[in-house]
Amino acid sequence: MFLNPWSIALTLCGLLALALGAVASRTALRVLRFWDLGSDSNRQISLEGEIWLSSTLMAYGLGFQIVTLFLFVLAADQFAQAIAGAMCATGSLLASPYGVPTLLVKLCGLFFYGFWLLLHQLDIRSEHYPLVRSKYLYLLLLIPFLVLDVSLQTLYIAGLKPDIITSCCGVVFGSTAAGESNLLGGSSRHGLLIAFSLASLSLAGMATILLRRWRPRLAWSYSLGWLCFLPLALVVITTVVSSYVYAMPYHKCPFCLLKPEYHYFGLPLYGSLLLAGFFGMSAAPTGLVRSKPGLARVVDSYQRLAVKGSLLLLVIFAGLSWYHFLKYLLVGGEG
Amino acid sequence: MLIALENVCKIYNQGQANEVRALSGIDLSVEAGSMLCLKGPSGSGKSTLLAIIGCVFPPTSGRAAIAGKQLARLPDRFLTIHRRESIGFIFQKFNVLPELTVLENITLPLLPLGISPRERRQRAKTLMERLGIAHRENFPAGQISGGELQRVAIARALINRPPIILADEPTAHLDTPLSREFMAIMQQLQAEGKTIVIASHDPLVFEHPAIDRQVAIQDGRIHVP
Amino acid sequence: MAKRGIEKQLNILDYALSSLWRRRTKNLSILLVFSAVIFLVASFLMVSKALSDRAGQLLVAAPEITVQRMSAGRQEAIPLAHGERLQGIFGIRRVVPRVWGYYFDEVTGANFTVLGVDPLQMPGGDGLATALARGRLPEEGEAGMVVVGQGVVETLALENRQLFSLFRPDLSLKTLTVSGEFAKETGIMTADLLLMHPAEARDLFLIAPGFATDLCISVANSREIETIARKIAELLPDCRVLTRPQIQKTYQVVFGWRSGFASICLLSAVAAFIILAWDKASGLAPEERREIAILKVLGWETADVLAVRFWEACLVSGLAFLLGMLSAFAHVLFFSAFLFRPILLGWSVLAPGLSLVPALALGDFLLLAAFTVLPYLAATVIPAWRSATVPADSALGG
Ligand SMILES: Nc1ncnc2c1ncn2[C@@H]1O[C@H](COP(=O)(O)OP(=O)(O)OP(=O)(O)O)[C@@H](O)[C@H]1O
Ligand SMILES: [Mg+2]
Repeated sequence: MFLNPWSIALTLCGLLALALGAVASRTALRVLRFWDLGSDSNRQISLEGEIWLSSTLMAYGLGFQIVTLFLFVLAADQFAQAIAGAMCATGSLLASPYGVPTLLVKLCGLFFYGFWLLLHQLDIRSEHYPLVRSKYLYLLLLIPFLVLDVSLQTLYIAGLKPDIITSCCGVVFGSTAAGESNLLGGSSRHGLLIAFSLASLSLAGMATILLRRWRPRLAWSYSLGWLCFLPLALVVITTVVSSYVYAMPYHKCPFCLLKPEYHYFGLPLYGSLLLAGFFGMSAAPTGLVRSKPGLARVVDSYQRLAVKGSLLLLVIFAGLSWYHFLKYLLVGGEG
Repeated sequence: MLIALENVCKIYNQGQANEVRALSGIDLSVEAGSMLCLKGPSGSGKSTLLAIIGCVFPPTSGRAAIAGKQLARLPDRFLTIHRRESIGFIFQKFNVLPELTVLENITLPLLPLGISPRERRQRAKTLMERLGIAHRENFPAGQISGGELQRVAIARALINRPPIILADEPTAHLDTPLSREFMAIMQQLQAEGKTIVIASHDPLVFEHPAIDRQVAIQDGRIHVP
Repeated sequence: MAKRGIEKQLNILDYALSSLWRRRTKNLSILLVFSAVIFLVASFLMVSKALSDRAGQLLVAAPEITVQRMSAGRQEAIPLAHGERLQGIFGIRRVVPRVWGYYFDEVTGANFTVLGVDPLQMPGGDGLATALARGRLPEEGEAGMVVVGQGVVETLALENRQLFSLFRPDLSLKTLTVSGEFAKETGIMTADLLLMHPAEARDLFLIAPGFATDLCISVANSREIETIARKIAELLPDCRVLTRPQIQKTYQVVFGWRSGFASICLLSAVAAFIILAWDKASGLAPEERREIAILKVLGWETADVLAVRFWEACLVSGLAFLLGMLSAFAHVLFFSAFLFRPILLGWSVLAPGLSLVPALALGDFLLLAAFTVLPYLAATVIPAWRSATVPADSALGG
């Protein structure tokens, strides 16, 4: 289904991202080859200028990634109108084996771009540019990932045929009648809710301790905790939170949250979760570069900021996810 | 020492066919609060030396410590950050943007520092009053006289309260009374504790009584007669 | 710290505004061309969205399965006995015969849709009563009673008349009594509609008793539509069986294909604009070079100058987006997208003479931005960087 405005927009964004990536990787190769901070040659001077080009391109890349992720979900939602059995994005994403992988790769891409920009911000705060090589090595590693992203997306779009029959959120995430397969079956609602609450409470606890006194081991478990919390939170949103937002016990879908019918509730929900995840996961690993010249203070202040930021966003996220549940309990189910 | 140069060399386009050795083996130290004049024929390297003192680019080799910072091997970004904290520049052609107003021109260095419009205006106002150009505040800089332009340039150099003022051929486009006036202002600034370095081959400047020290440059070296 | 950062961005934004204003002739021309491109793309997307929404509304009312008798490749009246034969298929809830056709009124030159169906039998028929502005639905056995749409009221000037006549094919007159009027809000589906009992419609079109135009079939479980349709086709080999999802999907695919094709054509407009933007942005005029060198020697970092350029691009594209969007909205809503008439001719039958109301969601803005603003930003980033890396020492000179 290439001849559809949404597919064309996605492909266009993909091509733009590839072009920006190609320019940035040219800088990366030149930096890895010729970088010499002590030199006064014209090449070194132009390389120092190119750092700004590549960082701007990566910032644009992050922006494009956010837009395409959103666009991808919305496009899938549109495709549902043309695919038998699909009622919303879930159906269209499952209509091809490339749908869900594309989504996941795009989601990870968000973090990868973010980490690069973080590395860059740390790097340019030291007069020695101590991370310049690792930064550009990382950038080069990002390029295959970007190619993977664009090709998965292209395969997905190419593979979508209107005559494919798929099942949609009602079947995939719904409570199972005997014999029917269910993507997230087996995990009970209550168990999930308890795990979710415990996990958020323990993350908040760790953050408070870390803000009092920094302990590297605790910081690492905090970051790992966030790594595990992200998928858990996504599952909980899908199976529990969403149905309270829709106020329909059998409507469970992670994507419909992003629709205007539900006041774009998904935007702040996913936004706070992903940003909190970014801060949380980056809190400990940034400690690895603390020993580089000129970075100790910068890293310390970033780590505190990251823990503070993730704690604040966690509170917002938890508030948002409980909001509809509590409303349901207080006001009743008619809403 | 506020400015300490040791064996400073500057080679433009190093390693290329159009390589130019603009400075070689410069040793120079300037105390805080003094006024120094660099003199020398055209092409001798005055502007290059001023650019190194002004943290515009680092020396190719040698050591240069300006206002407590070692410039060698410093990336461009940090030179810029140091420059905007420590250096005020006055250029030969004043380098104002003719379409911006006098006020906007004077406050240009404050924009990237994140200083609010109110504070910017306040700071500029004090300087403009002191230099007698307050009535020109909202005039486009392209429409005022040379003497006023000169004052705008001085006000802009002072707006971020730098300890060091650098002037490159400041009187080349001024007549004699205006040049005298300029030197009088410099004298005042020196009295307030600013360190001033002027590059000029105008006798009116280097023979001015306020100049503490003259340094002659020839072919990129300090010339001791 | 954070406050300083925000203040700094505000300062830079302010500078970007004044810098745009100083080069207003150049920027205005870019703005106009960009708005025109956005206008084209936006109008097109709005029209196609409005039309597909419309079509969606129309199709919702379509029966789940429609059975039509074909003879020599043309549709023929279907005997009601066929309907009886279908009753045996498990899963069919109801078979409703419909008599319908178009009536051409020679006096006014208008085309009406005549629908003869028993409202009580139709699925969702009770919903029909709420669509009435006044009066009631005709009941069984009432001769000559009809419910008319607002369009019909207007063309036949029925404001204060109850009775009117239509010609049968043999030119004899059939007198009808208005028993009710459809509400204006349902105009899209009812404007040209005359709803009456099947017997009345047969009388009007002179169709033999015991025949209908087609049979509408509703099923108990919508997942079984395809299975039941297959069984019907086996049972009634002389009939064509249409299912609603089939119509819907075919329609969506064809429609999506068409609008996709048009988007590709519009992309060339976008591409032309991007080339223009690149061209305008990459020529670094000497005054501009001088300005940046001065800024840099005064303590602006490369990143600050880049930020100025970024804000400039954002302001230009944001303003162009707003202008293009608003004019596209006006174009579609008030001028019925007259620029796209030639492309959309095929679709005009769907909603004749009705104004298009573009209902836009956040996603549509994003789609539009992906087509226009993102390429513009991508095209200006390298020229912006070129200008931001003008070395500070070029301001020294002399
Ligand atoms: N950007 C540059 N690239 C290459 N060579 C340069 C550059 N700037 C200056 N030079 C050369 O370096 C030498 C010193 O130049 P500089 O401008 O410092 O002299 P100056 O004493 O200021 O001369 P003037 O009195 O004419 O201003 C000259 O030979 C000049 O040609
Ligand atoms: Mg000179």
